[in-house]
Amino acid sequence: MIKIENLNISFKSEIIYNDFSLSVSKGEKVAIIGKSGKGKSTLLNLLAGFISDFKGNVQINGIQLNTENISEIRKQIAWLPQETALNFKTVKELFFAPFNFEINKKLKPSEKEISDIFRELELSTKLLNKKTKEISGGQKQRILLASCLLLNRPLLLIDEPTSALDDSIKMKVTDFILSKRNLTVISATHDEYWIKKSDTVIELK
Amino acid sequence: MEKVIDINYFELFIGYALMAIPVLVLWYYKTGLVKDTIIATVRMTIQLLLVGLYLEYIFKLNSTFVNILWVLIMSIIASYTIVKRSKLKFKLFFIPIFLSGLISIAITDVYFLGFVVKLKNVFDARYFIPVTGMLLGNTIKNVIIALDAYYKRIDDEQNLYRWHLANGATRKEALLPFMRDALRMAFNPMIATTAIMGLISLPGMMTGQILGGSNPNVAVKYQIMLLITIFSSAILNVVLTIFFSNRIAFDKYFNLKLDIFRK
Repeated sequence: MIKIENLNISFKSEIIYNDFSLSVSKGEKVAIIGKSGKGKSTLLNLLAGFISDFKGNVQINGIQLNTENISEIRKQIAWLPQETALNFKTVKELFFAPFNFEINKKLKPSEKEISDIFRELELSTKLLNKKTKEISGGQKQRILLASCLLLNRPLLLIDEPTSALDDSIKMKVTDFILSKRNLTVISATHDEYWIKKSDTVIELK
Repeated sequence: MEKVIDINYFELFIGYALMAIPVLVLWYYKTGLVKDTIIATVRMTIQLLLVGLYLEYIFKLNSTFVNILWVLIMSIIASYTIVKRSKLKFKLFFIPIFLSGLISIAITDVYFLGFVVKLKNVFDARYFIPVTGMLLGNTIKNVIIALDAYYKRIDDEQNLYRWHLANGATRKEALLPFMRDALRMAFNPMIATTAIMGLISLPGMMTGQILGGSNPNVAVKYQIMLLITIFSSAILNVVLTIFFSNRIAFDKYFNLKLDIFRK
């Protein structure tokens, strides 16, 4: 699913990745751990095409990451950043935003699909009628997660997936996402339960 | 019609006393704008007095070549002002801004002077130069506001932009909310002033024409047409500037380049 060979990334004079290689198979759940500033988010950003200046060979689903294929690469992924201060007035707008893009229009979820996934993530569908400032950070994180999952992409890139969640919900959400058999998940995380449930843990030093 | 009362230089000087108000306010609130205000006022005075002299000569000469050259120079100065007032890099943004300015004034000038006023020569100095001057002068602020709003917001809200891109948006789709906001910010004030025109504000050009002895009826019609021409020209200018500058402000992965802002 993902092949990274001899990756080199440096910002100014600081070397973030030096000859880094990684191979991830389809459906594998990979947790990237390490202290802040060690390049966890950088790896997710790289796979989403947000790092223009890198050296090495990066492939997702057999597609080479380069300027020509960037649109194809982005069709393989759903990406959820850590900082989710996305400015939408209503929860409905936030949730449906990706489904307004041409490529995702046919994926617009039915009411049943929405209520199913909301139930799995311990969310009430009534939230959709609220304003974004009326909901908690944890609810917002799960709503964005729901919309990412409904995009049905083979690869989910997710930064600190459970950072805003209470302990009781954390486990349920972790189990739900990491049990999706065909979904490859690359996450940057500090969450012990998430790390324990992942197939592979990579520590960046 | 009664001849307009001339203002002599002494009276003009007395008129300048009014500038004490903005200068005092800006000084009192420590805005750091006092020097800029004084320089701007002095520049405005010298430029307008010189323009008075030039225009007299250019109107007499009325050569298409000289008129076009004059407008080109005005466009260069306008583009320079826009880049300087925005926080963007001169090297990258001057050409797209200059080109967008030229295209938008060319289209609206030809339409207004050629099809509405039906001039035999749209480059006739008496019409072409002042109308283009009005267009350029009035669109500068829209372009500055729009460019700043657009690029600053993409930079500030990198996550929103990236979230769109990484979840299926084309570059155009990912940029759409930023374009929408830039247009709102740049044109909301213009829509508001257009809506109250004549009620509580009399536009400068019309006032000038009436003071200069024109029939108010004619002055009003020209003013209406000018406001419409300015609106079209400004929006065309903003859209083209963003369209052209998009090509240089983003890399091939559609990421906003880090070095587009002046330090």
